[in-house]
Amino acid sequence: MAKQQAKAQDNTTRWIVIGMVLLVVVTGVVFSLLGQNNKENASLAALDGTKLKPAVTASIDTANGSAIVLNPGQATVIDVWEDPQCPVCKNFEDANGDYIESLIRDKKATVRFHVLSFLGDESVRAANASFCAADEGQYLDFHHALYAVQSPLENSGFWSNEKLVAIGSKIGISSSKFADCVNNGSKIEAVKANYDSMEKYGVKGTPTIFINGKLWERQSPDFNLAEFKAAVEAA
Amino acid sequence: MKKFNDRFQPVITLLARLVLGGVLLVAGGLKLNKPTDSANAVAAYKILPANLAHLVGYALPWLEVAIALLLIIGFMVRPAAVVGGLIMVIFIGAIASVWARGLLIDCGCFGGGGEIDPSLAAKVHRTYFIEIMRDLGLALAALYLYLFPYGKVSFEKAAVEE
Repeated sequence: MAKQQAKAQDNTTRWIVIGMVLLVVVTGVVFSLLGQNNKENASLAALDGTKLKPAVTASIDTANGSAIVLNPGQATVIDVWEDPQCPVCKNFEDANGDYIESLIRDKKATVRFHVLSFLGDESVRAANASFCAADEGQYLDFHHALYAVQSPLENSGFWSNEKLVAIGSKIGISSSKFADCVNNGSKIEAVKANYDSMEKYGVKGTPTIFINGKLWERQSPDFNLAEFKAAVEAA
Repeated sequence: MKKFNDRFQPVITLLARLVLGGVLLVAGGLKLNKPTDSANAVAAYKILPANLAHLVGYALPWLEVAIALLLIIGFMVRPAAVVGGLIMVIFIGAIASVWARGLLIDCGCFGGGGEIDPSLAAKVHRTYFIEIMRDLGLALAALYLYLFPYGKVSFEKAAVEE
């Protein structure tokens, strides 16, 4: 009798412990999920008050992997290979994005953006949306906004088409043409062509930068503007 | 061998508990406050679809710590060892699969994780081997604890079940 009771008690303890372990794990998961969602949605707020800059006409270089070409015909040509979800590309953008934009706006260099998408579905969607923004002449603004809100968690579900349209409208790209283009994945051919051209140009990862066709190899551990600027000016 | 085991079993059980529990505690503890890194690390194995991988990445550190605490204090050692052993077998399978598919990643076992530059391929392959051996050792410790869960300095006593 006593033994049976002890056995029953033992079983109860077992279930309580299993329950506690599950509780701890489930609570951990729920808090992590909520934290991630909150962070991502909060990052959108960073775009509030962004003013759309003057449009820059973009052309698509279909002969050479369908890159987005801004300010064609300059002596200095910079090729930027990026995946919108790549965290190191964000580091590059944070350090050198404004400088590259000034090169384009001041007509100092031609810049070809090769928008890659090897990090998963959300890269494909973001790349598609980038081409849609390029159609509107607002590639630079959209590109800047994408990196401003880039989630540290890849393919977290954040960059849905709906969110990408919302990102566009937050910075002032609010045409229904843009929204349709994002929602219908209208630029998927160009996205694919960019990805497929990696091999041809020997691009293995991102970010990869060519200055006048020559691979730029950074010497400093982090991207720094002075180093990149010197490399561009030397070209 | 049998005699040796009869004599030292309670001490070996204690050691196995501390080794398996200790490693799990450190591994889980280091990842606990970095759920995003953990989720990215699991996704980098490219075994599960992204959203499922993220959930596993969020859950794993907590599970590791919970199992570790049970093993260390010596409570419900047998079920804890079964779970701990299963986790190790899954880790071994996951690393072997990554290796076989030629992916180069940081296992993210103790935090970190993600892809590694191709220039470090040789080093990564050696690391995979070491990691598999380590997890194999820990799986064996778990097996021992399944067979002999009752040892020294423990909350539970063999008498109740035997």
